Amino acid sequence: MVRIYFAGIDLGSTMTKVVILDEDEQVCAYVVNHTGAEHRRLANKVMEEALIQAGLCIEDMSFIMATGYGRINVPFADKQITELTCHARGIASFFPNVKLAIDIGGQDVKGLKIRNGKLLDFVMSDKCAAGTGRFLEVTAETLGLKLEDLGRISLGSTQKISVSSTCTVFAQQEVVNHLSNDVPLEDVVAGLHDAIASRVARMVRRLKVEPDVVFTGGVAKNIGVVKALAESLGCPILVPEEPLLSGAIGAAIIGKELTFKALANGETIQTGERRLEEATFFK
Amino acid sequence: MTSEVSKGLTRSIELYQDRSSRVKELRAEGKKVMGYLCIYPVLEMMTALDIVPYRIFGDLHEPVTEADSYMPAVNCPFLRSCLDIGLKGKYDFLDGIVTSHICDVGSTLSSIWIYALKPPFSHHIDMPHTLHETALAQEKGLLEDYKKALEGLSGKEMTSEALEAAIRVHNEQRALVRELYELKKLNPPLISGAETIQVIKAIESIPVDEGNQLLREVISEVKERSNGPQKKSSRLLVWGSIIDDTAMMEMIEGLDANVVMDDTCVGSRPYFDDVEITDDPLDGLAYHYLVDIKCSRTFRVNNYMDVHKDYMKDLEIRFSYLKDYADEWKADGVIMESVRYCDTHGYDVPGIRDYLDSIGLPSVYLEHDYTEGALAPLRTRVQGFLEIIG
Amino acid sequence: MTQETKPRALNRLKSMYALRAEVDRMYEGGVEASEEGKPVAWVMLEGWSNAILNAMGVKTVFPENYSSLCAAQGMAEPFMERSEAEGWPSHLCGYARASVGYSARMVDVGGKIPPEAPGGGMPKPTLLVASGETCDARFKWFQSLGRFFDAPVWTLESPSPGIRERLSSETYERNVQFLIKELKAFVAFLENLLGKKMDWDMLEFTGGGTNEINRLRWEINELRKSRPGPMHTRDFWSVMTAALFRGAADPEVIIEGHQKMYDEVTERVEKGIAGINRPEKYRMSFEGLPPWHTLGFLDQLAERGWNFVIESAYRPMRPRTVDLSMYDDPMERYVRRRYRSLEESLQEDYEPDEVEAIKNEIIRDGTSSRLGLKHISDYQVDGVVLHVLLTCRATSAGLNLLQRKILDVLKVPSLVIEGDIIDASAFNAAEALRKAEAFEETMDHYRKVRKELGMPW
Ligand code: SF4
Ligand code: SF4
Repeated sequence: MVRIYFAGIDLGSTMTKVVILDEDEQVCAYVVNHTGAEHRRLANKVMEEALIQAGLCIEDMSFIMATGYGRINVPFADKQITELTCHARGIASFFPNVKLAIDIGGQDVKGLKIRNGKLLDFVMSDKCAAGTGRFLEVTAETLGLKLEDLGRISLGSTQKISVSSTCTVFAQQEVVNHLSNDVPLEDVVAGLHDAIASRVARMVRRLKVEPDVVFTGGVAKNIGVVKALAESLGCPILVPEEPLLSGAIGAAIIGKELTFKALANGETIQTGERRLEEATFFK
Repeated sequence: MTSEVSKGLTRSIELYQDRSSRVKELRAEGKKVMGYLCIYPVLEMMTALDIVPYRIFGDLHEPVTEADSYMPAVNCPFLRSCLDIGLKGKYDFLDGIVTSHICDVGSTLSSIWIYALKPPFSHHIDMPHTLHETALAQEKGLLEDYKKALEGLSGKEMTSEALEAAIRVHNEQRALVRELYELKKLNPPLISGAETIQVIKAIESIPVDEGNQLLREVISEVKERSNGPQKKSSRLLVWGSIIDDTAMMEMIEGLDANVVMDDTCVGSRPYFDDVEITDDPLDGLAYHYLVDIKCSRTFRVNNYMDVHKDYMKDLEIRFSYLKDYADEWKADGVIMESVRYCDTHGYDVPGIRDYLDSIGLPSVYLEHDYTEGALAPLRTRVQGFLEIIG
Repeated sequence: MTQETKPRALNRLKSMYALRAEVDRMYEGGVEASEEGKPVAWVMLEGWSNAILNAMGVKTVFPENYSSLCAAQGMAEPFMERSEAEGWPSHLCGYARASVGYSARMVDVGGKIPPEAPGGGMPKPTLLVASGETCDARFKWFQSLGRFFDAPVWTLESPSPGIRERLSSETYERNVQFLIKELKAFVAFLENLLGKKMDWDMLEFTGGGTNEINRLRWEINELRKSRPGPMHTRDFWSVMTAALFRGAADPEVIIEGHQKMYDEVTERVEKGIAGINRPEKYRMSFEGLPPWHTLGFLDQLAERGWNFVIESAYRPMRPRTVDLSMYDDPMERYVRRRYRSLEESLQEDYEPDEVEAIKNEIIRDGTSSRLGLKHISDYQVDGVVLHVLLTCRATSAGLNLLQRKILDVLKVPSLVIEGDIIDASAFNAAEALRKAEAFEETMDHYRKVRKELGMPW
């Protein structure tokens, strides 16, 4: 029997993620790469890499679904769906009882209210960087630390500071002030994580906080924020093994579902041309 | 005079893009052209004295540079834009400005405009907020003051006959707009949300009788055409504060939805109720502008003397017209829209959401800062919403 | 370090503390009344409803004030978070958002006062009295609280004609009649709600008390004109609550407290004692609402010799005596005692030739650039702090215009500080202090300019 495959590509504002699934929703390959200004047009390259990893060619893909901030710029995708719906679907595939999902990416924060695997409502932050991955990046730079070390460092805190400002610029100033007052680094970092967590908690509360709560996105890799968020929300938090992939996985699953539905109805699924091209514009 | 005047939708687009073209001609012929802000400065009274009402809008595509030094950034970005282009001289041709108490910032804008731009004529109608009997009497009193001010400007008396005649033409305009909106009940609608804004903005840029002519042309053209909007999966009702640019509608209609009905002030809001012609025409006008027009700026309750309060009943009284709109125009979702820092609309958001939830109509709230850049992130919100309701 | 031996920068009035304590008593009174099953109203600060409610035996509490109390104790944040979770947009008035969160918490705990409520809390309202005065928030916000309470909301409508029209005596009379009618309708509503009749004699008493408090506040403010300024803005803000948001407190007690304050300030004037314990280098005015969450910021400025001698918000009206003997209707007396025409206010505040000039400007331009500036010259202010609030349009939208007028007409510069009444995160104290330092040069410069122009200060 011929196996069929589905690809999901999540073109986020900072990271591009591609996942290839087989019909049993097993991951055959995945690639995560920086989107970065110069890479924006290279969605095709990331796709190619994933295909090589899976040992497949683009024609093997029964359906390619694009999602994420740059979803309209993937020329070889068959359909575009928002990252809201795709994240919800992807997260529900590994945590079927999820009720609230929080995704903190490079530039924005999303809260998703999910019931029975379906997206019911959502909140999204606006363009302000506070509370996002970008905020942590700037902070790490200010402190002369590596981004991935922040979480570990914060765990050593005994008396975290309180950061009153939610504005990135103001908060950085507060950080500098604290450091010049000889506040231990771990307390400053823990305080910043707290500030992010309470801002995010404030935002997602409109969706009602009920377990299971799942946390995804790049920032979910930071154990300090995970801890702070669990405290702010007053409930345990689940993090998938690869927190960056839920959007791409959800996209691929929705593509699979569309395909099977069409097959069941005896319809042929509409797919685009299988050409691995650069996106010619990015709006 | 231009010899070859285009018609219908083409003419609407021309006026949408170059709003002052017609009133500048009229000024050259000696007519007075009066700027007005928001929908409350009783246009009938201007028309009765042969003064051409010309609505003041902002410009979403023009970055605010001049207004900053007059009004802090934490204020209605629409009004800041109006002020900004005013300060850049784009409204200098007007014979004056009439403002009203739409909201706090609207009133403040009026003083700033007068201080900074020194218009040859200005008048502010400080409208009451409630539907109390006293408020209605007050509104009428304010219209009497306004009448005197306009008479002083034009040197003519505003007779009851002239005012009644003006009410009739404006009512005719209202009827024509409603007729146009009837064409949005079809699936697909015969005219898009973006085109509707173009038409409304066009008629608010020319004298009322010319506007009526334009509306007739648009209606017959739209009925006949074959290149109207495509059929989409969702039909949306848009509620909110001002949307005076097509960009947002274009964004929404570029997705899998048609905007079939609106409750916004460059849309149905000023046109859906007629002015009753009363013995003293000012009574009917006061009633219309205070009671009929349903904008968040006004405090509504069923019966203000009633000492019993029931939240759901209260919501129904305030917002059931939205249900009627959704039923009649077969809308399956509601977009609540507001510019950031709009207090009057902002306080209504939780209540409207409760009401729409209670009748099972899904909704999403979009807040934006009246810039082009604000639209891209909104697209994901709208598309996500459509995916939920689709 | 020498800091320990130095006195604190602010020289607070002793009489202030007793008045501030009355505020706690006021909230306690509200809670007690509610426990005894007596009606409690949530009201706004405005000139009309409070005395009427009190005369009808309704205790009044003030969410506006209560929110500032929460902020001053660092307790507003969780309430604001809750309001966001309930779906109220975050740009709305900080007072309103804190009270939305508070109300939501009340519902959580079955209509009782939430345990974390500072100052004893506000009891559940029997009714809400919103106001059509000052800002849009004040009539939209109470309506939106409907989600939490089925208490009726009365929005007290107030007449506010354009400034040009306010010069005409016809309009004045129209407004008086308007107020009489509106307040009578309000009384009818209350009688219906409470099942009892209005006590008109009581209204003369509660209304009369207000006038006396106002008179004393006015006299105290007159004293504040002296050099050095004997009473700092922070003291004014601290007692303002007792004077204005006084709920059903006994007017006699508040009057006595103000009398003491008047004596204390008089003594300071005689002895040349200032409201700050540093040399008065700059006489300042604070325009806009206070930063309740960080009032100590003004102490830091006092450290630099900035003496806030006057402020724009909550100022008393000039007291007046009017002959009301020809009016039989107690409501008419109540209205006419307080409501004055623009003409009358101008006559009181300005010299006759200036009155004419202002009137002509109003008639010609629809406004006069001299209005709203009088306290700057009366108090010989060197600089003005404009507090632009993130969440309050009503008091912020016009500040830039005011800034221009003050500079154009009086040659006094302003320092714009962005912040909020409740939301501490909108305010950056370090940056504001830096700006303040630089602003001193500007103030020095304009001092010279005024001197060259022969202005009195
Ligand atoms: S959008 Fe809101 S703030 Fe702006 S003018 Fe309208 S009512 Fe006022
Ligand atoms: S004036 Fe400002 S601070 Fe006061 S209630 Fe209104 S919006 Fe809030």
